[in-house]
Amino acid sequence: MDAFEAIKATFFQECDELLAELESKLMLLEQGQTDLETINAVFRAVHSVKGGAGAFGLEALVRFAHVFETLMDELRAGRKPCDTVTIKTLLRASDVLADHIQAAQGLAPPVDEERSAGLVHELELLTHGGEAPPVVEEDEDDFGFVPMAFDVPLDEPLPSLGEPEAVAPEAQTGWRILFKPHGRMYGSANEAGLLLRELGRLGPITVSVDDSALPTLDVLVAEDGYLTWTIDLTAAIEEKVVREVFDFVEADCDLTISPLGGGAEPVLAFEDEPPAVLPASDELDIAALLAKAAGGAPAAEPAPVAVAPAPAPEPEPEPAPAAPAPAPAPAPVAAAPAPVAPIPPAQVAAPVAPAPVTIRVDLDRVDRLINVVGELVIQQAMLSQRVLESGLARSSGIALGLEDLELLTREIQDSVMAIRAQPVKSVFQRMPRLVREVADMVSKQVRLVTAGEDTEVDKTVVERLAEPITHMLRNAIDHGLETPDERVAAGKTAEGTVRLAALHRSGRIVIEISDDGRGINRERVKKIAIDKGLVAPDAALTDEQIDNLIFLPGFSTAAVVSDISGRGVGMDVVKRSIQALGGRISISSVPGKGSTFTLSLPLTLAVLDGMVVSAADQILIAPLPAIVESLTPQEGDLHYVGGVDPVIRFRDRFLPLIDVAMTMGFRDTPVVPSEGVAVVVETEGGQQAALLFDAIQGQRQVVIKSLETNYQQVEGIAAATILGDGRVALILDVDVLVTDMRRRSSRPDFKLAS
Amino acid sequence: MTDAIVLATVLDMNAAEPLKAELLARRGQPVTVDASNVERLGGLCLQVLLSARKTWAADGVDLTITPQSQGFSEQWTTFGASETNVPDPLAQDPLEGALA
Repeated sequence: MDAFEAIKATFFQECDELLAELESKLMLLEQGQTDLETINAVFRAVHSVKGGAGAFGLEALVRFAHVFETLMDELRAGRKPCDTVTIKTLLRASDVLADHIQAAQGLAPPVDEERSAGLVHELELLTHGGEAPPVVEEDEDDFGFVPMAFDVPLDEPLPSLGEPEAVAPEAQTGWRILFKPHGRMYGSANEAGLLLRELGRLGPITVSVDDSALPTLDVLVAEDGYLTWTIDLTAAIEEKVVREVFDFVEADCDLTISPLGGGAEPVLAFEDEPPAVLPASDELDIAALLAKAAGGAPAAEPAPVAVAPAPAPEPEPEPAPAAPAPAPAPAPVAAAPAPVAPIPPAQVAAPVAPAPVTIRVDLDRVDRLINVVGELVIQQAMLSQRVLESGLARSSGIALGLEDLELLTREIQDSVMAIRAQPVKSVFQRMPRLVREVADMVSKQVRLVTAGEDTEVDKTVVERLAEPITHMLRNAIDHGLETPDERVAAGKTAEGTVRLAALHRSGRIVIEISDDGRGINRERVKKIAIDKGLVAPDAALTDEQIDNLIFLPGFSTAAVVSDISGRGVGMDVVKRSIQALGGRISISSVPGKGSTFTLSLPLTLAVLDGMVVSAADQILIAPLPAIVESLTPQEGDLHYVGGVDPVIRFRDRFLPLIDVAMTMGFRDTPVVPSEGVAVVVETEGGQQAALLFDAIQGQRQVVIKSLETNYQQVEGIAAATILGDGRVALILDVDVLVTDMRRRSSRPDFKLAS
Repeated sequence: MTDAIVLATVLDMNAAEPLKAELLARRGQPVTVDASNVERLGGLCLQVLLSARKTWAADGVDLTITPQSQGFSEQWTTFGASETNVPDPLAQDPLEGALA
């Protein structure tokens, strides 16, 4: 890949991030959060896509992004209201934008010209058409109320500033704003000119620019900020309003807002300065003022209104000349020395808050690192084992050193895992579009609510989540939700809600997909299963068992096979892909109220904290998160249901006691419970059971080695690991053990897909 | 002879670096900058132009921005840069004097 292609690849990576950002901000807008910051974020995302696309000559993309951006510009300037129609159009435009990017990448065919042109037309209509009502909406930003051109004469009185703030006692007759953008501000696609224009909307302004810090062209860094603007704004408004203009660039510029002509000028403490508008031509005043501050005058130090929110240190190309340091007492401006300095040191010294620095790393390298760390963990365990076997005292230097090594290994492992951890956001963000498209296709009204997007999980898990979630969302909309008419008839709102949530629960990630639709029609599900010969006609099934029928291969309830779901790929595929990740899927449904699918997945596919136990000469690992307590069974606490199935009394409840060695087929005769150890475990669904082992050997972190990859799936076993002595130990799948055991007594005639 | 540079329509962040290079390549000779196509002038390009003005003034060579589109001169004014500049040759910038 040549350099150009590499840059292009980076651009497309960034596009993905920008699109994700775009999508999430548009969702915020949709939820009614139409503040300027959100609109600006959308603008920036589109603008950045456009900028990059322009550099690579991606004409179609640029053209589309430009129209999009133009509308966003209108919105952020407050010239057009951000109403529902607009937002819906923006959402669809973002879809088309994504398609354009895909097409530009060569991943998809060129975007359907008609579709693109249609949206371009819609966007343009919204931008220029004046279709949007001129009424100022409640959620419109604050600037809309001064419909004033920028360069009004200074002496013209301000019309219609009927805002309550205007008469507030602290209102000033105007503000002097010192504004020095950093290069970073431009880098995030903000433009000083637009900010000035926005200020101009607040009232008459006089702008002067101080280019004294500007170096000659040969040493100029084009992406850096050198200029300082002084803006005198003559408008009786609150400081807050002025500050809002700079709201989202505040971190990327030096900003000082002081009352115009009042007694609070940072350095010039003129009590009697008339509150007049300073003419723009007195640049030298400001320059002198700055020079004075830079000259080290102590008076500059306690500047009462200097606000410089975390500016980055600026290279000072022209160090402040050693101006004759004026006395702390205020000195008349005119007497101040002529040499000028760019920025008062008080601002430069402000705390630095640099943006987080990230690098892009080839995933292969991370994977290699993870593999090696996995080996390190195993090797470290082996070493400990050897030391133990050699009979060294526990307090010996070597043993102590090993303990430290273990802690370090652990830390390395955690850090490496953290590198791979990613929020599920990247998957969740693809879903709103899917929901929109599916809803359109089946003519239903759907609202997608997401929660827990920031939940982190291993990258491999994140990547493989997309497909099952996509499938289940489609199902929820197509099968779960009713049509608007049906919903209204059932006393619900016409718009259905699908909820997608992620959360951490006992060391696993849980994804819930729920809808408020009609729920599972158990009668129909059972009938179909019988018709298809999946269950015997006379089988007595519990509700739960019927619900689980939909996971059987070849099951589809859609009466009409639609475009969306029921393409012959059913929930069985979802279940299989979840299981391949070491996860489980469960379903709960209330007729008329809706269904909830719950996916539970391990956070990582690499390591696990486990309890090492033995059963019939086998070493097994019980996942620590599932374990509640361990105890030695007392004869008096044991009971036998129906004379066969043992249960154990545990905190005034009876739990099934499962002899693991028996269940797994390691031996044929049950162990005497009082001679073993019972470990109380809890499943994903909250069921508790006691597992009976021969002995507990310890607790350790194990590196998971997939059984499916290396051998095949074994019921009751989640994976395997290599112990310190080189032996292979099996990691138990507690949920399967418990539920499997439960089912034994009432095993139905069909085999539940498990 | 006077060299001429035609400015692009949109002088945004992406245009700053190329513009700087273009100007630098002509350092030491009189330059006329044609701003008649400019629709949008960004802060970074403004910096480049102001810096060029300074540089040329220091070199004692003429640099003129003419002709100017309406958008260009409006935005130039918005930026508060008009006081010292438009449309004369820039060598007589009063601020330059103060700096010297």
